[in-house]
Amino acid sequence: MHIAYAPLILAAEESGDSGGLDLLLPAAEELIAGIIAFSIVFFFVWKWAIPAFNATLAARQAEIDAEVESAEKAKLEAESLLSDYREQLAGARAEADQIVAEARDAGEAVKADIVSRAQAEADQIKARANDEITAERERVSGDIRRQVADLSINVAERVVGDSIDVERQRQLVDRYIDDLGGVQ
Amino acid sequence: MDHATAESSKIDGYASALVEIARAEGAESVVPDEFHTAAHSLAGNAELIETLRDPRVPTERKQGIVDDLLGSRASAVTVAAINFVVAAGQARHLADIAKRFADLSAEAEGEVVAEVRAPIPLADDQVERLRTALARVTNRRVQVKVVVDPTVVGGLVTKVGDTVLDGSLQGRFNELREQWG
Repeated sequence: MHIAYAPLILAAEESGDSGGLDLLLPAAEELIAGIIAFSIVFFFVWKWAIPAFNATLAARQAEIDAEVESAEKAKLEAESLLSDYREQLAGARAEADQIVAEARDAGEAVKADIVSRAQAEADQIKARANDEITAERERVSGDIRRQVADLSINVAERVVGDSIDVERQRQLVDRYIDDLGGVQ
Repeated sequence: MDHATAESSKIDGYASALVEIARAEGAESVVPDEFHTAAHSLAGNAELIETLRDPRVPTERKQGIVDDLLGSRASAVTVAAINFVVAAGQARHLADIAKRFADLSAEAEGEVVAEVRAPIPLADDQVERLRTALARVTNRRVQVKVVVDPTVVGGLVTKVGDTVLDGSLQGRFNELREQWG
């Protein structure tokens, strides 16, 4: 400020037209007193107010920085927490999927087992029924065969008995005796 | 002692008694043969046997029947022997007693009995040839007792001791029944 005033003062002195400019410029004493006062004020401001202001500012800045840092940290923490949760959620979902799949597999296995057992039982019942039918058929056909055979043999016996005359009887007896004679 | 053994020992007892009776009467060469023939002719008629063993029919009536049927065809000793068995209530064992009686009598003579079932009565020469053939087979002297039995159909069934020589059509038909039954 000293430097800025100096040309003004010079300019005023050079013009020689003191009337107008003097109106504008303070008196020299006043100017000096003002400069001194200003310097004192300036010195105080420069010596304490500015550092105090700067200190406050710095403290404030540090506080903000700390807050920002803490916010960053909180954010990071939150993000890591979030990712943890996501991970856990994904894990839980996978586990749930696995449980569902296992349950489905178990269900399929039980179903297949029941079906195969029912099939086996049905096959067994069918086989037994077939066996019984076969046995019954054989029994009936055997009975019929026996009855037919008995009947036929009875008829044959009667027919043969009726058709053999005394001469034939005699021949049969003779042959029996001859056969017996041949045995030693 | 089971039932079958009891029956068999009873039959033995009656047969032995008849042997003694025949010997006592000096008719051991006739009675066993006549008894056998008579017993089988009676046993062939199931209805008659039922009557003879019926306890409600008086013994006199049974003996009347036997006398009527056999009187002219057998000696008095034989008829008496049959009547004895019938009166004792053993009519249904007549055939078995006759067989055993014949066996015991033949044994006493050193012979065996061949019981021959035939559908018709055999001619004398047939009986003689059969006797000769059986004697050769058994190496014993053989008494042939013929029983007429139409169920034989044709041929003969000979029983010597426990051995049965079945050459009958009945036997053939029975074989067929076994095969097909």
